[in-house]
Amino acid sequence: MLEIRNLHATVAGKDILKGLDLTVRAGEVHAIMGPNGSGKSTLAHVLAGREGYAVTQGTVRFEGKNLLELPPEARACEGLFLGFQYPVEIPGVSNLTLLKAALNAQRKHRGAPEIDATDFLVWVRECARVMGIDPKMLSRGVNEGFSGGEKKRNEILQMLVLQPRLAILDETDSGLDIDALKVVAEGINRLRAPQRAFVLVTHYQRLLDYVQPDFVHVLAGGRIVKSGGPELARELEEKGYGWLEAA
Amino acid sequence: MSVASYAQVFERCAAAWPAAQRRARRAKLEEFLRLGFPTRKLEDWRYTDLSALAERSFEPARRTAVALQDALLPRSDRLVYVNGELDRNASTADELSALVQTETPGATGVDALNAAFATPGLNLALGPHARLARPLHLILAGAANPQAAMTHQRHRIHLGQAAEAVLLVEFRGAAGGDRLVTQTFDIRLAPGSRLRLYRLQDEAAGSQLISRMDARLARDARIDIVCLDRGCGLARHDLNLELAEPGAEVELAGFYQPAAGAHLDNHTRIVHAAPHGRSRELFKGIVGEKSRAVFNGKIVVSPGAQKTDSEQRVANLLLAPRAEVDAKPELEIYADDVKCAHGATVGQLDETALAYLRSRGIADSDARALLRRAFALEVLDRIAWPALRDRAALLLGYPPPAETALEP
Repeated sequence: MLEIRNLHATVAGKDILKGLDLTVRAGEVHAIMGPNGSGKSTLAHVLAGREGYAVTQGTVRFEGKNLLELPPEARACEGLFLGFQYPVEIPGVSNLTLLKAALNAQRKHRGAPEIDATDFLVWVRECARVMGIDPKMLSRGVNEGFSGGEKKRNEILQMLVLQPRLAILDETDSGLDIDALKVVAEGINRLRAPQRAFVLVTHYQRLLDYVQPDFVHVLAGGRIVKSGGPELARELEEKGYGWLEAA
Repeated sequence: MSVASYAQVFERCAAAWPAAQRRARRAKLEEFLRLGFPTRKLEDWRYTDLSALAERSFEPARRTAVALQDALLPRSDRLVYVNGELDRNASTADELSALVQTETPGATGVDALNAAFATPGLNLALGPHARLARPLHLILAGAANPQAAMTHQRHRIHLGQAAEAVLLVEFRGAAGGDRLVTQTFDIRLAPGSRLRLYRLQDEAAGSQLISRMDARLARDARIDIVCLDRGCGLARHDLNLELAEPGAEVELAGFYQPAAGAHLDNHTRIVHAAPHGRSRELFKGIVGEKSRAVFNGKIVVSPGAQKTDSEQRVANLLLAPRAEVDAKPELEIYADDVKCAHGATVGQLDETALAYLRSRGIADSDARALLRRAFALEVLDRIAWPALRDRAALLLGYPPPAETALEP
C-alpha cells in the first residue's frame, strides 16, 4: 500500500530525513517511535504534502501511484489521512461544513454522487457518538475553542467519517488523559480492517497499550534504525532511546 | 475649479420650489459654490478624489421603472425612492416621506450641495416608548436617465425616550447610468432609546454615492449598526456617532467587498463626549482585483469622558496584486481613566487553515472560498434580522451551506 524508498527531506534547508525506508501493507498497523527531533513529524508532513518540506531524494508510492507528485487534496482523495499533532482552529467554518465538503470532494474524486443530506447527518452523528463528541459541537467552528483532547478526538472523528485507506496519526496520543486516550484508541480500532492500514507516530508506548501494532520502528537521525514487533515498544519504554542512538 | 453648471441647474429648479424654501436653498448653494467639492488636499479626502465632479453637469434625476423584487423582505414596511422620487406603489410607509431641513454640523461642500437641492426623504419621529411594529426598509434606488443625473436627499430619524426601531437603509443601483447621489441622515436618539440600523450598498458602475450619517446618542441610548458594501461604483460613507451623554452605547460592524472597478471609502468617527460610554467597532474587508477600499476609523475621547470603554478592530484581506486598501485607525484620547483598544491588519488567507482544509481533500479554490466566507461571517452573523442576513449573505456570495439548516 505504501512504499517509501530512500527518502531524504529537508526543512528550511536542514536535512531531516536521511534515507528512510518503510513498507506498509494493507491491514497492518505500524508504530513509528523515536526521540524528539528524529524526523517523525517531518515524515508525516511529507506524506501529507504539507508545504515547506522539500523531498531531495527517494520515492514514495501509495497504491502504486507516485504520491509525491500529488497535491495534498489529491492525496486525501486517494485515501490518505493525516491526523495532525496540532489541529488548526478555523472559526467560521463549522465541523459539519468541513466534513461535508471533504466527504463530497472525495466522493467526486471517485465519481460518486454527493452524499444525501440525511444520510450524511446520520453518519456523522454515529461517528460523533463513538468519539464521545456532543453533536452540538459539530455546528461550531472547526476546533474552535476545543481543548487539546477535544481537538485530538475531532481528528479521529474526521478519520471515522472519511474512512481513509491509510491513516497517518501524528502524536495523536500526546496531551490526552487516560479516558480520552481510550476513546481515541477505540476510534482507531473500530476502523482497523484488512483493506486499511495505519501509521502511528508516537513518542510514548502508551497508545500501543490500547492499539496493538503489527510492527514497531525506531526513527533516529532521519532513518529507521530498528524494526520489530510490539515487544520493541515495551523495550523502548524500559530502556529509552539512548542505546539505539548510540548504536 | 468651476462648479458653475450646478448654479445653472439650481436656477432652473428654483421656480418649482415654494418661495419659503428658496432663500435657505440659495444660501446653501452659495456655500457650495464657495466650498466646492472636497479636494485630496483635505486629510479626510486624501484617498477619494471628487474634484472631477466640479467640471461635470448633472440634471436632476427622474424616476424610472426599476426592478425591486430581489430586495423585498417579508414582514417589513417599505419606503421606496427611485432616483430621489417617492415610489408610492412600492412603498407601504409613504406617510413617512417628508422634506427634511436640518443643519449639518461641520458641513462640507457636498453637504451644502445636498441641502441646496434636497428632495423629500424619510422622516421618522417616534414618541417616548414608541416602537416600530415592523422593521422599516428604506430603499434608495438609482437607475439610468437619458443624461447624467443627480439625486440629493435628506433624512431624519428621531427616536423619543426609550423608543425602539429597526431600520434598513439600502442604496442600490441598476446597471448603467452616470449618477451623482448624495444622502444625508440626521439621527437623534433620546435617553434609553434603541436603534438597530443596517446600511447596505450595492451600487452600479457609473454611480457616485456620497452618504453621510450623523447620530447623536443621549443618556443610555444604544445604536447597533451593521454596514455592508459591495457594488462597483464609487461610494463614500461618513458615519459620525456622538455619545453625547453618559452611558450611551455603540455597536458598529462593517463588511466591505467592493466589486472589480469599485472605489469604496468608509470614514467612521466615534466621539465619546460623556463618561461611561461604550463603543465597539469592527470593520472587515475583502478586496480583490482592480478594486480599492479606504477605511478611516477615528475614535475621539473628549476631556471628561472618563470610564470610556472603546474597542476598534479593522481587518482586511487583500486577495489580488492589483487591489488596494488604505486602512487607518485614528485615536484621539483626552481623558486618562479610559479603556481603548485598537488593531488593524491587512493580510492574506490563513495558510495554515488552508493547508488543513486541503489535507482533508477539499480543492484549493473551495478551501479559499470557505475561508473567505468564514472571514465575512463574523460581521454577517451580527445581522439580527434573519431574512436580511440571508439576503446579504447571498448578495455577497456567501450563501449558507445546506448542512447549516440541519439540526445535528
